[in-house]
Amino acid sequence: MLSERLQILVSPEQKRRLESEAAAQGTSVGGVIRAAVDARYTRAPRAQRIAAVEAIAAMQAEVPEDPAGLERIMNAGRLAEASRGVDAPRS
Amino acid sequence: MTFFIDANVLVYSAAPESERGRACASILRAVAAEDAGGRTSTAALEEVWDLERRGRVRGLTGLTDRAFQVLSPLLAVTDEVFATALDLDAPDAGTNDRLHLACCVRNEIEVIVSSDRGLDGGHGIERVDPLDEPAVRSLLA
Repeated sequence: MLSERLQILVSPEQKRRLESEAAAQGTSVGGVIRAAVDARYTRAPRAQRIAAVEAIAAMQAEVPEDPAGLERIMNAGRLAEASRGVDAPRS
Repeated sequence: MTFFIDANVLVYSAAPESERGRACASILRAVAAEDAGGRTSTAALEEVWDLERRGRVRGLTGLTDRAFQVLSPLLAVTDEVFATALDLDAPDAGTNDRLHLACCVRNEIEVIVSSDRGLDGGHGIERVDPLDEPAVRSLLA
C-alpha cells in the first residue's frame, strides 16, 4: 500500500537520470525510486537470517586452518579457469 | 559501525571446529541479529559461490545461499566502485581485493573484517582479523 508521501530535493542531473531510467523501464520516477529503496534496504526477516547463520555454523566444512592456504585455493581456482580460457558450467 | 565482511569470513563460518571458524560465526550471528552492521558485496559473495561450486573445499554446499539470506541486500559493484578500484593505491592487492576495498571507499566503510593479510596496506581501510577479540568487540559494540 502506497500511503506515505515523501518529498525530496535532487539536482537537475539527478532528475534527468531518474526520468531517463523511468522512461527506459516504462515506469514513473516514483517507481524507479521505490524499486531502488527495496533493492538497497530490504532484508530477510530476522528469524530467517538467524536460522541461516545457524545452518552455516552447523556445516562442518573442511577449511584449511591457515588463511593463506584458503587464499591459495580460492586464487588457484580462478587461475585455472583463466588458463583454460573457458567458463566452467555454472551451478 | 558498518564494516565489510570478506569472503573468507563466510567460508570460515562454516567450519565451527576451528577457533577461527567460531570467531567468524559469532560475527555473522551478530550481523544476523542486527547487533552489528556487517555488509558484503556481490563480488565477495561470488568468491564464496565459486569456491562452493568447485568443491575444492568439502562441506560448503549451500553456503552461498545461506550467506545471501543473512547479508542481502548486497553492496553493488557499480561503475563508481569499479573506477575507484582501478585508481586504488594498493599494488599488492588482487583484482577482487581491489573491488572489496573500493566498495568500502564508495560506501564510507572504514573497516574490513578478513583473515587475508593481503588486505593490509596504506589504502585507508583498516583490516580486522576475526581472531582479534578487542577489535571485533569494538565493531560489535
